[in-house]
Amino acid sequence: MHWHWLIVIYLFLGGLGAGAYLTSFAAEKGWLGPSSSLKRAGYYLAAPIVAIGTLLLVFDLGQGLYKPWLLIGLLSNLSSVMTWGVYILSFFIIIGLIKGFLVFKNKNAPAVLTWAGAILALATGAYTGILLAVVEAVPFWNTAIMPVLFVVSALSTGLSATALLALLIEKQVSQQVREGQAHLLLIVAELVIAALFFGLMFTGIKGTVGIESAAIVVSGAYSVVFWGYFIGLGLLFPLIVFILQQRSFKQTAKKTVSEPSVISSRLHIFADISVLLGGLALRGLIVFAALPVWDGFTLFL
Amino acid sequence: MKKLKGVKISRRRVLKVGALTTVALTSGLLPGRLLKAATVEDTPENPNQMGFMYDQQLCIGCGSCGDACSKANDWEEGTKWRRILQVKGEYVYLSISCNHCEKPACLEVCPVKAYTKREKDGIVVHDPTKCVGCKYCMYACPYHAPQFSEATGRINKCHFCYERQDKGETPACVASCPTKALSYGNLADLRKTFGGVNQLPGLPDPELTKPSWVIIPKVLGE
Repeated sequence: MHWHWLIVIYLFLGGLGAGAYLTSFAAEKGWLGPSSSLKRAGYYLAAPIVAIGTLLLVFDLGQGLYKPWLLIGLLSNLSSVMTWGVYILSFFIIIGLIKGFLVFKNKNAPAVLTWAGAILALATGAYTGILLAVVEAVPFWNTAIMPVLFVVSALSTGLSATALLALLIEKQVSQQVREGQAHLLLIVAELVIAALFFGLMFTGIKGTVGIESAAIVVSGAYSVVFWGYFIGLGLLFPLIVFILQQRSFKQTAKKTVSEPSVISSRLHIFADISVLLGGLALRGLIVFAALPVWDGFTLFL
Repeated sequence: MKKLKGVKISRRRVLKVGALTTVALTSGLLPGRLLKAATVEDTPENPNQMGFMYDQQLCIGCGSCGDACSKANDWEEGTKWRRILQVKGEYVYLSISCNHCEKPACLEVCPVKAYTKREKDGIVVHDPTKCVGCKYCMYACPYHAPQFSEATGRINKCHFCYERQDKGETPACVASCPTKALSYGNLADLRKTFGGVNQLPGLPDPELTKPSWVIIPKVLGE
């Protein structure tokens, strides 16, 4: 294990910022309901969050504080996924900042800018997974599912973070049916992909080391984090909350009662925080359970 | 009589030719299998690729290769360019450094291009003055050749004593080996060694990076 908490948080924040941008992008496009309150918060979150993540990455580099001028070299190897990431993140932070500023000033951003930001956001989310997926010497990382899992988690955590910030900055927050549906869809998708991923690992398709890594997570040293934080808090608890929310939407529609109950909105906040914890746990599990294809010590006959 | 004899010989010939053709066809159909059975691997892409050869039967695990390397190359604190591993409870060793792979994963993932593979001999050299210490190569290399020094915040690794080799000298580790268990040379030639392999049980699949090394494994009971 060569990467630690700073990298875990960096991967998490990269996804979070990307997801936040895409949440507000979707809200702006009207995909999250006609009067979504998420049209601005995600744009405010995106660039600063990714920038903070990038700063953490710099702290993690052996030379980050020692010889920072060497960092310019990070742009040089176009065959390295990490180099792609540096370009993607840099452009995303710049465009995210401009978009966020324009939204703050209530000015219309050019469609090209908004779309470029959305594409870069998607690229940022995918990059955090591809960075790991291309490492052949780590069987646990080396599957095409990794970027998909990370993108879905990025969208889910981004949506939750945006919803939380919207509660603080928007005067009127009306919960939209479509937002709840998006939450649900993402959580169900993440559950299915996670099940697929661990199922695949346990088939032995990535060798015994792949099985070992998956076993550390599911039934070994990290099982509490996996079942408690990732599956329990990160997926099942919010799943239940958002299912209940959808049902109450239907009931309010029938009863024609417009006010959602206080308890349900509080539960909603807990569910969103819970999603964030789950997303962080996922990045931690993936990074910490990365066993190398050979440990570098053990020799057999 | 003469005619009959002639017929007989030609029959034999037919059989011989037939058998030979069959062998030739089969070997043509299954070239991979035959090659793998005969040598370590197909010939290296770069005919000038240099490599290490390690004879597990000759190694006594004295560690002088590592000591010589450490002395010659002034390892940065916490790094081991050459490691001597041992099978638990057996007098069976492996002296391992960088395999100067034909498909070096370190070089591919390094964001700052600190790694270069020399055209003239295929040696993979890491330039620590370019390294930012991201440790991506430590995950990418299946042999754990890149080593990180907490003291200097950067990677170091075996460079096959390329400066010595340029001067026509032997790499420090090879020069120090008292039993000649460790040697080096042109990889294409090394791969012709009888009994040579490029993987030991439990070690990474050589297809990952195509390591430029040849190992003569110890046969127990000898």
